[in-house]
Amino acid sequence: MSPAFDSPIAELLRTQRVVVCCGAGGVGKTTVSASLAIGAARMGRRVLVVTIDPSRRLAETLGVSRNPTEPVPLPVERQRLAGIEAPGSLSAWMLDPQLVSDNVVRGFSKSPEDARKLLDNPIYKNVTAMIAGMQEYTAVEALYQFVLDDTYDLVVLDTPPSRNALRFLEAPSRAGAFLDRRVFNLFLPGEGGAIRRMAQRLLERVMDTAFGADTRKELQQFFELFGNLLGHLNHNQAEMRAFFARPDVGFLLVTSPTQEALTEARYFEGKTRDELGLNLLGYVLNRSLAWARHRPFPRDELLPADAPAVAREALEKLRRLAGTEEALVAQHTALAADLRQRAGGAGVAWILPGLPEGASEMDALLTLSNALLTKDA
Amino acid sequence: MHFLERRIVLITGKGGVGRTTVSAALARAASATGKRVLLTELGDPEGGYSAIGRRFGREHVAPEPVVVAPNLRLNHLWARTGHELFLGNALPGALVRAAVRSKAVDKFLTAAPSFHEMGIFYHLLTLLKATRKDGAPEHELIIIDMPATGHTLALTSLPDILLRLIPGGPIARAMREGQGFLNDPRLGEAWVVTLPEQLPVTEAIELLEGLRETRMAAGGVVLNRYPADPFTPHEREAMAEVLRSTPMHGQLEFERIGAAQHAAQRLLGAVHVPVITLPEVYAADDPDPVPTLTDVLARAMRGTP
Ligand SMILES: Nc1ncnc2c1ncn2[C@@H]1O[C@H](COP(=O)(O)OP(=O)(O)OP(=O)(O)O)[C@@H](O)[C@H]1O
Ligand SMILES: Nc1ncnc2c1ncn2[C@@H]1O[C@H](COP(=O)(O)OP(=O)(O)OP(=O)(O)O)[C@@H](O)[C@H]1O
Ligand SMILES: [Mg+2]
Ligand SMILES: [Mg+2]
Repeated sequence: MSPAFDSPIAELLRTQRVVVCCGAGGVGKTTVSASLAIGAARMGRRVLVVTIDPSRRLAETLGVSRNPTEPVPLPVERQRLAGIEAPGSLSAWMLDPQLVSDNVVRGFSKSPEDARKLLDNPIYKNVTAMIAGMQEYTAVEALYQFVLDDTYDLVVLDTPPSRNALRFLEAPSRAGAFLDRRVFNLFLPGEGGAIRRMAQRLLERVMDTAFGADTRKELQQFFELFGNLLGHLNHNQAEMRAFFARPDVGFLLVTSPTQEALTEARYFEGKTRDELGLNLLGYVLNRSLAWARHRPFPRDELLPADAPAVAREALEKLRRLAGTEEALVAQHTALAADLRQRAGGAGVAWILPGLPEGASEMDALLTLSNALLTKDA
Repeated sequence: MHFLERRIVLITGKGGVGRTTVSAALARAASATGKRVLLTELGDPEGGYSAIGRRFGREHVAPEPVVVAPNLRLNHLWARTGHELFLGNALPGALVRAAVRSKAVDKFLTAAPSFHEMGIFYHLLTLLKATRKDGAPEHELIIIDMPATGHTLALTSLPDILLRLIPGGPIARAMREGQGFLNDPRLGEAWVVTLPEQLPVTEAIELLEGLRETRMAAGGVVLNRYPADPFTPHEREAMAEVLRSTPMHGQLEFERIGAAQHAAQRLLGAVHVPVITLPEVYAADDPDPVPTLTDVLARAMRGTP
């Protein structure tokens, strides 16, 4: 019952080491990532999918709801049901930014003592997840390590929800603002010229008045200990940028099937391909109705000759709905054609149907993975 | 609808369900009853367009409220504004002037974790407390078009988090005061917007459960984009029979209507808060759904069906 795996998406999954699914909030990044990963594993690849904030049910389907500390292989029984056979395999990891961040602290603090102090610092404990860009940053940090050791043929990376598709790519620079050594130094007592010392004294007074001296001291400890990690983080950031530009690391834009997708695609192309020199693989138009374009308009001839009168009345009413629907299907179809043209020779623009039952159970993910991997699904 | 008696209402829900549209319609309907309403959203720090502004023909809005209709003002909550207001209230005058001018303080407030959220929160608190000359609240009802869910819970639980971090001082006082508004069911509530589809309904039910953990009262659920059903039960049965053998255009809509009824029943059976149903407005009838939804809500507020 294995499908043909003959779509351009299947071809990508055969050749890439890393596929990053980007897109605006709620478009289906996590779902598409999981479906791609299942598909690639069915094609015989050893696959890891790194998911971020999956719905509770999807996490259960992927078997990652229990163990967030490391990738979890899909239970053998499930792999069989999904049609995954050796050498193919599927592991999933639900990324927990706090855990990744803690690992960075343990691995790169100056001493175990420093690491423990930072991990116990109330500021660190409560706010790491809130630092702008930190979630994206830790996702990339984790991914990087999995690709370096050679356990997997392919890593599919989901990206965090955000208002626009590019947040993820820009995150390193946003986190960079926080990770700026000059900002950190402002909080640390010590050297510096007269102006720096004045600024520090002002800041201390502001902080003491606003939070009280205890909190100010905790903040200073946080900045001091976290500051020691900056060297490592910044170094990694540079390496990671280079890593993302590798030819076997590619980006897919997951998008809605509506007209706004075109604007988003144009912007995304400019950013990934032209500005950052990344490998843009193409587009997935999720929940597109383009597949229904060959359906006929409801006409009386379509009713069987012996259809009852009530069916004829109902058909009359259906015609009104059909008008709206046909226009929508035509829009989605035109958009898919536009994007296909934009994607050009090497790129893909693939439509994916919306499933009425949602897409968190294995059955649904298999349906989507079939639709992604076969030419005429 | 007790909605009109609140001081602050958060409009929450998953991405794309219609939070912004519903917020705009609620604000219009509420202001038409004579209430002084402020409609607001969290400003985009990256300076993108204003979703709520676009519903009123403006690409951008500012921290300072502007009048867009009788009794209706519009602005966004802005961290920087909150920081300045906070410094102004917490510190002696000379220190404030130095602090506001200082690049160091500015950098600190921009970069230090959770201070962005704190600024937003303080700005909101200031708007809640603003009064007119006669002592009445400047904004009797503040409606916030919240970002897609994750952040909603963050804002409502923000005071708790900050109080853990900073138990004393003026920030802690402000956070306690803010909690007083958000966690008092007479003053504040959150409404969950959702769609009449299987998954969004499940998510709305989960979101209501999540709200319980934040101590913010759930006002109710707005079931948005409910499609009208032109078919009698008899016709529906006959049509389903035909469509089984002959797929055609209109079928997707036909099935969606059936699924919507199903989802609505499930929602009504599962929640113990009021559910307001808003119709799907077809783009062919009116490209802007807000006026129609405003009428429906205005009738609900007057208590006439
Ligand atoms: N093709 C589809 N058919 C049916 N349901 C879908 C489809 N794609 C996604 N969904 C459902 O839509 C919801 C949102 O999808 P998903 O979580 O994958 O989006 P996301 O882009 O990862 O969102 P976020 O930005 O919040 O991380 C989920 O409940 C998912 O099951
Ligand atoms: N009742 C309705 N009838 C018809 N269209 C609607 C209705 N409610 C919302 N829409 C349309 O649905 C789309 C999404 O609505 P809106 O932008 O309000 O959602 P949102 O939840 O604020 O989205 P986002 O997550 O992007 O902020 C808009 O195009 C809007 O016009
Ligand atoms: Mg996701
Ligand atoms: Mg919105």
